[in-house]
Amino acid sequence: MEAHSTSDAPRPPGSGDAQAGDIAGAFALLAGMTRDFADTLDLEATLEHGLSSIVAHLDAEAGSLWLLDDDKRELTCRASVGPNPITGLSLPVSQGIVGRSVRENACQSVLDVSKDPGFMISVDQKSGLATRSLLCAPLSVSDEALGAIELVNRRGAGRCFAEADIHLLQVLASSAALAIANARMAANLVDAERLRRELELAAEIQRNLLPAPHAAPFPAYGVNVPARTVSGDFFDIVELPDGRIGFCLGDVSGKGMNAALLMAKTASLYRCLAKTVERPGELIGTLNDEIADTATRGMFVTMVLGVFDPKNGRVALTNAGHEPPLVHSPSGGFCALPAQAPPLGIATGIVPGGTYPEREFRLSGGALYVFSDGLTEACTRTGDPLGSPGLERLIAANAGKPLAERVHNVIAEVGELDPRDDLTLLALCDTARGGR
Amino acid sequence: MQHSLTEKGGDLVVSLQGDVDLDSSPAVRELLLRCVGRGATVFVDLSNVSYIDSSGVASFVEAFQIARRNGTAFALVSVSPAARRVLELARLDKVFTIHESLPGGSDDGA
Repeated sequence: MEAHSTSDAPRPPGSGDAQAGDIAGAFALLAGMTRDFADTLDLEATLEHGLSSIVAHLDAEAGSLWLLDDDKRELTCRASVGPNPITGLSLPVSQGIVGRSVRENACQSVLDVSKDPGFMISVDQKSGLATRSLLCAPLSVSDEALGAIELVNRRGAGRCFAEADIHLLQVLASSAALAIANARMAANLVDAERLRRELELAAEIQRNLLPAPHAAPFPAYGVNVPARTVSGDFFDIVELPDGRIGFCLGDVSGKGMNAALLMAKTASLYRCLAKTVERPGELIGTLNDEIADTATRGMFVTMVLGVFDPKNGRVALTNAGHEPPLVHSPSGGFCALPAQAPPLGIATGIVPGGTYPEREFRLSGGALYVFSDGLTEACTRTGDPLGSPGLERLIAANAGKPLAERVHNVIAEVGELDPRDDLTLLALCDTARGGR
Repeated sequence: MQHSLTEKGGDLVVSLQGDVDLDSSPAVRELLLRCVGRGATVFVDLSNVSYIDSSGVASFVEAFQIARRNGTAFALVSVSPAARRVLELARLDKVFTIHESLPGGSDDGA
């Protein structure tokens, strides 16, 4: 894995190798640098200190450490030792001997820079040095150069760098490269951890937007299980002053934080409007206009919204682009309630008059199940989606159990099949008429 | 997912093939926005679309919203049965202009 190139004529034998033969000193330097890198909390200071030790050990007049920028087009000097510091100076990676070392991921030893067309005099003008010879080693990790260390002008006898110097610089550069890669990985971990904490906080706020479960016996119960930390689904159950129960279940298009934010807005709007706007069709029309005013990137919300009166089992609901809810009758049959209008947020006034069409019916001892498409699209063992018939079978198998247990059982069984999507299920049961 | 763009008498025809889902919808979105941004009439041919999820629908919705604001036409054409099921289930057939085939016959005009 030795990779280096040497230009110009080799030095006369025996002129300088002996100086670099101080193996004990080299090992001490390597051990010290490795320890410093392992212990450091301040990488820049450690790099500066490490570079000083390398420059001193290899008896160079100056040295610099260069790192590639994120877009890999420029090298920036991050540490320098010499008459005039050049820290902060940037060079295109396409130029200079240091650029060549990074591009080729190989050491460069130039005994006479005046004969190397790659040499850039502009750096000398900044550093205040007259460069004669150069030694450059890439900071490479996993066959990729993160930057390079460059040494300028060997002091003392022979006044140029020896073969042993190249090897030593290569080893020291590898140690520094590992430290840089580790520091970057640690910084990424810190960022990821911060992001994770923020997501958890968002998820907690989201969970608090969902209604607290009512003590049994209560004829409405819902569960939301997000596939990721945050969810694009939501539901709400609101007890109205006259004893009726307002409910809604929505699903925001897309996934992730943008869906979660629109979910939060829609859920808050519903909670705010549910106690004052009587009719589901009117309420959902107001929600549509509010969401359409601010929604971006074509995002929309499918929603079922309604009111249930536990005294007489009457339901009034409207379905805006949502998966058809299912009514399970006491005789065991199912009836689907397809969407009557498009999803919310696409355009204001999309439904003429602004009031969405409603359906009114009695549960008559049955139950209503409203759910997100995560349930029907869940992938079964055969590879096919569960679909409405599959979900009906699960609901039927759990009929007769207490409402909360029914809902949890269905969610658990679907989640076991396919946990990739948010799962939300809301059930209303006509318990006053022996609902099952 | 594959897509192609042809020009037909000043109108733009975007043909989509395969799944328009969370993976492919960013590319579809970019293409549709570029087309709608040119101020031309845009037809999206869905005859070879096998699946659309809500992120795919959102990319159509965004293009539709911009076209509506700009006063230009945006329509879906030759919608495959799979895509039609999704659009009809959500009653998006009430939102988008949908044509059975490209207006003006079947020559590609490319």
